[in-house]
Amino acid sequence: MERRGFLKAGTAGFASLMTGTGLLSWSTRSEAATISKTFYITAGTQTMPDGVSIYVKGFSDSSADLNIPATPIICQEGDTLEITVINRLAVTHNFVIGGLKAGDAPLASTGDIAGGGSKTITYTIPTGKAGSYLFYDNKTNYNVFLGLHGGLAIMPAGKTNQMYSGSPTFKKQTFWIFNDIDPALNKAVQDGTAIPTSFTPRYFTINGLTSLPPGAPGHGDPTRDALFDTRSQLAGYLGDRTLVRMLNAGMCTHSMHVHANHMEWLTDRGSVRPQVWKKDTIQVRNKLGKIDAIYPFEAPPDAYPPVTTGHFPMHLHDEMSQTAGGGMYQFGAMTEIVFK
Amino acid sequence: MSDACYVYPDAPATPGRVTPDVLFRRGIYMNGSMSFDDGKSVTIWGFTDLAAGQGQDDGMGGGSFPSPAIRVTEGQIVHTELTVGMMWMHTIHHHGIEPSEENDGVGHFSWDVTNGTYTYQWRPSSAGTYFYHCHTNTPLHAEMGMYGGLIVDPKPDPNDPAGTRRAFANGPIYDVEAIWAADEIDPAWHNLPWYAGTCGGDVGLNNLNPKYFIISGVDGASSALTHPGVAVDMTLGQTLLARYICAGFHPQKIDFGGLTVDVVASDGRPLPAVWQTQAIEAHSAERYDCIIKPTTTGTWTVTVQFLHWRTGAVMGTARTRINVT
Ligand SMILES: [Cu+2]
Ligand SMILES: [Cu+2]
Repeated sequence: MERRGFLKAGTAGFASLMTGTGLLSWSTRSEAATISKTFYITAGTQTMPDGVSIYVKGFSDSSADLNIPATPIICQEGDTLEITVINRLAVTHNFVIGGLKAGDAPLASTGDIAGGGSKTITYTIPTGKAGSYLFYDNKTNYNVFLGLHGGLAIMPAGKTNQMYSGSPTFKKQTFWIFNDIDPALNKAVQDGTAIPTSFTPRYFTINGLTSLPPGAPGHGDPTRDALFDTRSQLAGYLGDRTLVRMLNAGMCTHSMHVHANHMEWLTDRGSVRPQVWKKDTIQVRNKLGKIDAIYPFEAPPDAYPPVTTGHFPMHLHDEMSQTAGGGMYQFGAMTEIVFK
Repeated sequence: MSDACYVYPDAPATPGRVTPDVLFRRGIYMNGSMSFDDGKSVTIWGFTDLAAGQGQDDGMGGGSFPSPAIRVTEGQIVHTELTVGMMWMHTIHHHGIEPSEENDGVGHFSWDVTNGTYTYQWRPSSAGTYFYHCHTNTPLHAEMGMYGGLIVDPKPDPNDPAGTRRAFANGPIYDVEAIWAADEIDPAWHNLPWYAGTCGGDVGLNNLNPKYFIISGVDGASSALTHPGVAVDMTLGQTLLARYICAGFHPQKIDFGGLTVDVVASDGRPLPAVWQTQAIEAHSAERYDCIIKPTTTGTWTVTVQFLHWRTGAVMGTARTRINVT
C-alpha cells in the first residue's frame, strides 16, 4: 500500500494549478539562470465523468497536491535545471526528461528514487536543445500512464517568439498533454496485483481532464472541464498566434483535429519538418510522440458572411477518444478554441 | 429522443442567409446496408440527395455509401441543407472547411438538427480534398457511414483550354481522378441506436475492433481491386490525381505498389514543395492529394494497411489497383 492517505484530484489537488494564466508565460533573459523546482510524487484518486474513481499518481507541487500533468517548466538554452523529486510513496519511482528527438538518450534522469527518498538532478542545457519535452517516470513502462508526466519547454536563448532559430513566430504558448486511461491498469497498481498484459483505454484526457459538455455537472469549471481549462483552451483575438506543444503520454496514437483554422505544423517527434505544412489534422503518435504546431487565429477562412469571433472544438479524430467508460460522447479529449 | 443525453436539438434560420451559388439538399438514411466479400453485411447510415429524389426525410430507407459527394468551386457561396425527421439527430460538419460557429455542424457548439431543416452556409477559400460527416455522437455516426467526399475545385484558369482540371489554382493538371476513402468496419458497432451511450453506460465506443477494411464503400479484401468506382483505369501518358481520405479512426498506411507519387496537397492546402514518396502514414481525417504519372503500362496494387491505434499491429488491409494501358 502507498504510504500516505489518498489525495483527491479534481478538487483541492488541482487548485494549485489554476493560479496564473494557464498558458506558459515567458519573457527573455540575457543571462542564464538556475531554474529550481521540487516535485512530490503523490497518489490519490480522480473521478471520471461516469463516476468511476481511478487511482492515479503525479509529480505534484506539494505533498498535499496531486497534479496531473505536473506543473510545466519553461526555461531557455544555457539555463541550469535543478530539479528535486521527493518520493512520498512507498514504491520506487524515477524522473526522466526524455530526449529531444525520437531515439535520443534522455536529457537527464534521477535514477531510482526509493520510497520515501529524494533525488536532485542538475542539468545545464546546451545550445541546440530548444524544443518540447516530456518528463515522466520510466521505472516501469506503465508509470507514465498513471499520471507521472509533465511538459518542459526549452526556448532558444534570447528568444520570446520562436521555438527554434528561424521558426515561424508566435505570441503565446501552451502544452496539450494527452493521456489514455485503462482503469484495469490503475487498479492493478493500486492493489499490487499482476499488471495486465494488454490495455483497452476507457478514458481520454487532455492536460489531465476530459471535456464536460453543456448540461454536464462541472461544465464551464476550468478546474474540471477540459473545454475551459485555461491550460488547454486556446482563446485569442485575430493574430494571437499560439504555439501548442503537444505531448502524447498515453497508450494510443491520436489524430489531433482543430476547427476554424489550419495549424502550421513545425515539428514531429522533436525534428523540425523540412517545410511548414498547414494541416487541420495531425497525428500525435504514442510511445511518447510529440508535435509542435501554431494555431494562427486567422479569421475562419470559409465563413460567409465573414466572422472574427466564435467557439470551436479541438478534438481528437480517432473518435473512440471522445468517449468515457465506453459511451458518453463529448466526455473525452477535447478542448475549446475561442475567437474573442 | 428522450433516450438521448447531451444533445442540443434545434433547426434555426441560418444567420446572414443569402442566395447561394450552389445548393445541396441532404436527407438521411438509417437503414442502408453494405455487403462484404464474405457474404455478410452490416447496417449503414448516411446522407441522401433529396434533389436527386433519393430517400425521405423520415430516414427509414437506404442510400449510397459513401454518401453523395459535394463538389464545389472555390469562392462559391454554398448551401448544404440538412433535413432530419423528429426521430433522430444529425449534423453535417464539412471537415477541413472553416466556417462560422453556426455553420460548423458540431452539435454542442451549435445544434443537432432534428425535426426540420438547417442550411449550412459557407464559402470555400481553398481548393482541395475534404470530406463531410455527421458530428452527432460522432464515434458511432461516422463509423456507421455518415460521410461523403467533399471536393473544392479551383476557379477555372482563363488561360487553360476548356475542360482543364487542376488540383488547385496554378496546381498540377490531371486527367483521371480517384477518391479513395479508406475506412474500417467493426460489425459489433453496427447494431446500436443513434443515441447509444450518450446517457452513460458502456456500449463499447472506446473499443473499435474492425473486421472489414474498405475503400469508398467497397470491400478492400477483393472487390475494390476491380470495382469501377475505386480501381483506376488510365492510359499511358495520362495523369492521375488520387485523393486519399483517411476515413477511419485507426492509423493507416497507404502504399502505392512501387509507384512514386507526388503529394501536392494535404488537408485542402497545397504543400510548399512537392513531397515524393511511395507510401504515406495517415491518421483519422487526414487527406493527401497524390499526382501519379506512370511511365510504363502495367498494373499496380495500392494497399492500405490499418494499424491498431495502441499496438500498431496491422489489423487488416484494403487493396485496389491502378491499371495503365
Ligand atoms: Cu449523425
Ligand atoms: Cu472530421
